[in-house]
Amino acid sequence: MKSLSLKNLAKTYFDAYKGEHVTAIRDVSLEVPAGEFVSIVGPSGCGKSTILNMVAGFIPHSGGEILVGGAPVKGPGPDRGVVFQSFALFPWKTVLDNVGFGPKMRGVPKAERDAIAREYLALAGLSHAADRYPNELSGGMQQRVGVVRALANQPDVLLMDEPFASVDAQTRMTLQDELSRIWEERRPTVVFITHDVPEAVFLANRVVVLSKGKVLAEVDVPISRPRVWDRLVADEQFKDLSNQVLALVRSA
Amino acid sequence: MERASRISAALIFIAPLAVLVALWAVVVPAFGVRPQIFPSVAAVGKAGLESLIDGSLLRHVASSVSRVAIGTVLAVLVAVPLGILMGVSRGVSAFLTPLMRFFSVLAGIAWIPIATLWFGYGFGAIVFVIFNAVFFVVAYNTLLGVSTIPMTLRHAAASLGAGRRAMLTDVLLPGALPNIVTGIRTGLGFAWRGLIAAEMIATDVGLGYMLFVARDFYQTEVIVLGMIVIGTLWLLIDRLILVPLERATIERWGLVSA
Repeated sequence: MKSLSLKNLAKTYFDAYKGEHVTAIRDVSLEVPAGEFVSIVGPSGCGKSTILNMVAGFIPHSGGEILVGGAPVKGPGPDRGVVFQSFALFPWKTVLDNVGFGPKMRGVPKAERDAIAREYLALAGLSHAADRYPNELSGGMQQRVGVVRALANQPDVLLMDEPFASVDAQTRMTLQDELSRIWEERRPTVVFITHDVPEAVFLANRVVVLSKGKVLAEVDVPISRPRVWDRLVADEQFKDLSNQVLALVRSA
Repeated sequence: MERASRISAALIFIAPLAVLVALWAVVVPAFGVRPQIFPSVAAVGKAGLESLIDGSLLRHVASSVSRVAIGTVLAVLVAVPLGILMGVSRGVSAFLTPLMRFFSVLAGIAWIPIATLWFGYGFGAIVFVIFNAVFFVVAYNTLLGVSTIPMTLRHAAASLGAGRRAMLTDVLLPGALPNIVTGIRTGLGFAWRGLIAAEMIATDVGLGYMLFVARDFYQTEVIVLGMIVIGTLWLLIDRLILVPLERATIERWGLVSA
């Protein structure tokens, strides 16, 4: 696990439709120490997904610096694992081969990467689904595989782009419970993008509120762990922090 | 249960064909149709038996099938890598798409005259026609398949450490495979028709030739026999090659409902 730091990050691009230059991100600086869980929230269009795409290396940034463990980011790479809103599982690979994909790219032999994949699948209670194809699984199950696939590659930083936005509310809470448990066990460095305020607060050590391409506020979440919804739904501290963040987002 | 349903599916498939043969068996004698116009069921059966015994039917089938097989395999081997390369680059694929569409429509029969000019009469001209019938359709579909792979899948692969080579073998090729299979189905259809037409003109062996020569001698029973063999072979290609290919890719990956 390594730290992530964004220094005066900026993104402008040319909007061919409007015929003008648009500033999506202006001067965002953010420090995520190794092993910390940071949520970034904000209304649609605030630039949160743009930041994640730049950190992942999918799109170039136009100003500032992105450093992972002190080294600048140049394009996508296995040091930054990504969990996508659309799951992005390979439909032609079994669950086991999806999870083993990262190790395969590192040249890990078949037997060994199957063992790694099985270990991580067990972590998310997915052992029974190893030989299934993604389209045979529910949305919630597919995203469990998405998370496990990213973790099995042991990235320095885990980037999650609204990963639970397209599953039903019930499943979403289960997935949040599980992610919280896995984070507590493994302590990865996580940047979690969402527009769901309770989700952001529930999961994170710190919530960053983004507005119009800038950091509006940072809110620490000192709620004790382990965190599970059964306890937190009625937790006063959780309610207060959620209301505080919600007020910030609405003012954004 | 499964076996019973397979048998009933086969019966449902065969029933209309059986009805057609029955009608034929009744109508030809009932109206006294002359054998120069249309043969009786018995005459076709006899022609089939004779050509099986003297080995001529097998020789025609073998040369037709081997031409299609060689032309198709060659075309797929060239078209798939080329289609992937074209699909990887947005600019190249945009530039070549209209050309590929143009040649996809031309595929097959339209190449026969120039094929005989270039290769003379025989194996080369016919394989060339089949190659073209399959090549353009498969290359175009591969290009289409690669360019429709969701960008997030490429991103996912890249962020899991896939380099250029793994991107080709583990993402672009399997991602385009359902389209490639669709291309092979369409291309083989063109090729099969093109083959029969080309064999009527450019060779002295094969099913198309068998039909064409029989016409000169008013051997309608041989013509109809040839038509039955051509249709049956296509059904076999469909059942034994195309359907299993589609099951293994398109349906299995949930890209269309099974």
